Amino acid sequence: MTVVGTHAWTRQETPARTSGATTLRAEWIKFWTVRSTTWSVAAMFVLGAGLTALVCATSAGWLASSEADEPVGAFITWGMMFAQVTAIVLGTLAVTSEYGTGMIRATLSATPRRGEVLAAKAAVLTGTLFVAGVLTALAGYLAGNWFLDREGIGLALTDDGVLRALVGSGLYMAGLGLLAAAVGLLVRHTAAALSIVLGLVFVVGNMTMLLPGAWGEWTTKLMPGNAGARIATPESFNPLLLDPWAGFAVFAAEVAVVLAVAAAAFSRRDA
Amino acid sequence: MIAAHRLTKTYGPKTAVDGISFTVEPGRVTGFLGPNGAGKSTTMRMVLGLDRPTSGSVTVNGRRYADFPAPLREVGALLEARALHPGRSARDHLRWLAASNGIPRTRVDEVLELVGLTAVADQRVGRFSLGMGQRLGIAAALIGDPPVVVLDEPVNGLDPEGIRWVRTLARDLAAEGRTVFVSSHLMSEMALTADHLVVIGRGRVLADCSTPDFIAEHAASHVRVRSPQHDAVATVLREHGLDVAAHGAELRVQGLDVAGVGELVGRAGLLLHELTLVRSSLEDAFMTLTADSVEYAATPAGAAR
Repeated sequence: MTVVGTHAWTRQETPARTSGATTLRAEWIKFWTVRSTTWSVAAMFVLGAGLTALVCATSAGWLASSEADEPVGAFITWGMMFAQVTAIVLGTLAVTSEYGTGMIRATLSATPRRGEVLAAKAAVLTGTLFVAGVLTALAGYLAGNWFLDREGIGLALTDDGVLRALVGSGLYMAGLGLLAAAVGLLVRHTAAALSIVLGLVFVVGNMTMLLPGAWGEWTTKLMPGNAGARIATPESFNPLLLDPWAGFAVFAAEVAVVLAVAAAAFSRRDA
Repeated sequence: MIAAHRLTKTYGPKTAVDGISFTVEPGRVTGFLGPNGAGKSTTMRMVLGLDRPTSGSVTVNGRRYADFPAPLREVGALLEARALHPGRSARDHLRWLAASNGIPRTRVDEVLELVGLTAVADQRVGRFSLGMGQRLGIAAALIGDPPVVVLDEPVNGLDPEGIRWVRTLARDLAAEGRTVFVSSHLMSEMALTADHLVVIGRGRVLADCSTPDFIAEHAASHVRVRSPQHDAVATVLREHGLDVAAHGAELRVQGLDVAGVGELVGRAGLLLHELTLVRSSLEDAFMTLTADSVEYAATPAGAAR
């Protein structure tokens, strides 16, 4: 006869209840035991730091010349514009991969309190993206600034907005990931969620610039990708954008609304 | 113990589960039997709190699933074999499950050993065969060493050895005093595994009884008789009060065993070419019982419009 278990450890060794900590631990293991996470984070680093270094290397001479008509500060986290994609992919997959595979049922039978599952997922995702975003921006700054320094136009960490942009890069990546996760939770489909968020941030956000008048200007300012991205760069190519912190507050509020709707749907519907 | 009380689930105008009540007792294997689309999986998802009942309730050991502080230690479930991320290894899948309910990591190796997946534990499950995936699902169900085990179609995709293994496992779990609830659409499999049957069709309970009772009640038998003196034999048997039906060249006799029928025909001095006991299979009984409740029936080619 198969001996299935003794029950012994069940009674003695461990506290017989789940908590925020056990759920967080489970989500952490889940997050890091699929390859897409490692790939996405690596891609963020390569794009974010690599492209910043590249653009600084190729533009340093021009920026130092009298012809330059763009602020140096707009270049020092330039690669983060592309790194956004990886944050969106990671946030989407963290949720939709569970729906695509049916894993969500395993997750919710292990932890029926859905709010707890969502909070743990959000914590793991935003924590990872924040750290990865800050480190990527920092590496890009260090590499890019090496080229700028050679032309005598380097920026110090203490210069206006530089440190804020590095921390802001982490905040913006975390926010984008959370937005993508929330949309993923609403539509429960990888391709659909990716299309919506990428389209919103990269396509719609730019097309609103074509809208006429003050109405168009404000729509542009308030689009999530435009409002949120400003915090991730010391200076912007686009002078019309909201101030960094004001923009980030708008972005955070938008993410919060989508997340709240997604959470309400998640807690009510059948898994 | 699992107790469902007037459990109902509707999806728009469609009623998947229609006010069913039943209990699943500990210490025995209860088979949950029904054709595809009968509402088995929906019922099981409601047991696990994944789907919300439209009305009615279902409890496990007196509590709603969602109220368990550490549900994997109370109820182990295999819902779908492929509720796995293909890129994650078997060990990692069990590791996160264990972590979620504060179950020690040593238990991961225990259940891997138990289902025979130790050698492939670090392979990504996307490479697993259907049977291996099913074994992993069963390992996941047992990770919390739960007193209640729910298995939805556990033998799907298993080879004969695997089927026997699941059957033995289910019986062993019940012998340890656990509550074991196993769904299947295969009557023959349930006849070998289950002590008790809950049969459903179109969301309603059609039978709720012990397996032997079910067989006795629903698996009919008759004696097949062939004789060159077909009509005379039929007359003799009818005179003795037996139920005789003619099907072409054969007579189907109910109400007496083979020896009795043979003696009656012999005493009348008639010739016999065949005398056979025919027992309709359990599968037939199940088909008959659920005939009206099959959701997607194939129409025989000749009968198609």
